[in-house]
Amino acid sequence: MGKSCRDYIKGLSDYLDGEVEPELCAEIEKHIGECQNCRIMIDSLRQTVTLCRDGRSERLPESLENKLSSLLKDRWNKKFPKEK
Amino acid sequence: MAARLLSFTYFHILHSRNITLLEDFLNHFGYIDTQMNESMLVKKAQAGDFDAFVKLVDGYKGRIFALGRKMTGNEQDAEDIVQETLLKAIDNIDQFRGDAAFGSWLYAIALNQARQFLGKQKHVDLKPIEEYLPSRNADDMHDAHALFDWKDPHSLLESEELRKIIDDAISELPVKYREAFLLRYFEELSVKEVAAIIEESEAATKSRILRARLALRDKLTSVFEVRYGKELPGLH
Repeated sequence: MGKSCRDYIKGLSDYLDGEVEPELCAEIEKHIGECQNCRIMIDSLRQTVTLCRDGRSERLPESLENKLSSLLKDRWNKKFPKEK
Repeated sequence: MAARLLSFTYFHILHSRNITLLEDFLNHFGYIDTQMNESMLVKKAQAGDFDAFVKLVDGYKGRIFALGRKMTGNEQDAEDIVQETLLKAIDNIDQFRGDAAFGSWLYAIALNQARQFLGKQKHVDLKPIEEYLPSRNADDMHDAHALFDWKDPHSLLESEELRKIIDDAISELPVKYREAFLLRYFEELSVKEVAAIIEESEAATKSRILRARLALRDKLTSVFEVRYGKELPGLH
């Protein structure tokens, strides 16, 4: 009896992150080539991550940026009061 | 000869404990890397140098904002999370011992803030990994139940709608899965870094991330099935 889809997919996380040994990677890829459900599963799991990353913006709103500089400075001066 | 002179100068400056001079020296000769730079900035910040603190957090502000927005699904909450995280970082800068990267320390503070904003959200736990997987035996080529094929969601749904679908699906994940997933794939941290931030073993972290990914896939599949069905009857 051959391996079940679940046996292959046990190493799914490492496979998706490109962290499996070449031998197992080849075995999984051979299986995906023959098993439509596993191909769909892996393809959609990959898309899950790319869709979540789509349109990612790391820019702070300008109003927050402006507010932060004085807010942080005030807190800093309380934490490290300048000696007079 | 030149190398010996450089080496002598380096140790002389190191011995003097003049951090600024040492930093300038290493920067000048290209011997400084990001991690080293960061640890120097930490030392300067801990000694009361505000500019060093600003430099230190500059690369993280936007990332924490993006993470906060994904965690809470709300821009105003994300702004508050950034603000509170940085204020807490100032209050506790002397507590940072450098056992983990500065970024990991900052993310841990940000997650605590996010958890407070989310309150005690009640969520049922996710299914075990096995229950998300296809059950067919590899030797049996007859599919009992063919999985729904997403194809390319971008080609069938407007970007704005797709974004909302994704954000809603993420916000439905229980918090502990949501944060692990976002740190790993949105912030692109390693499993080891995520594990350190959420204070779990690497094995438990890996499992949590995979369950989140499988649950998201399940949720998105059910949404796409309905949406695709409306867009293109008979597609599946």
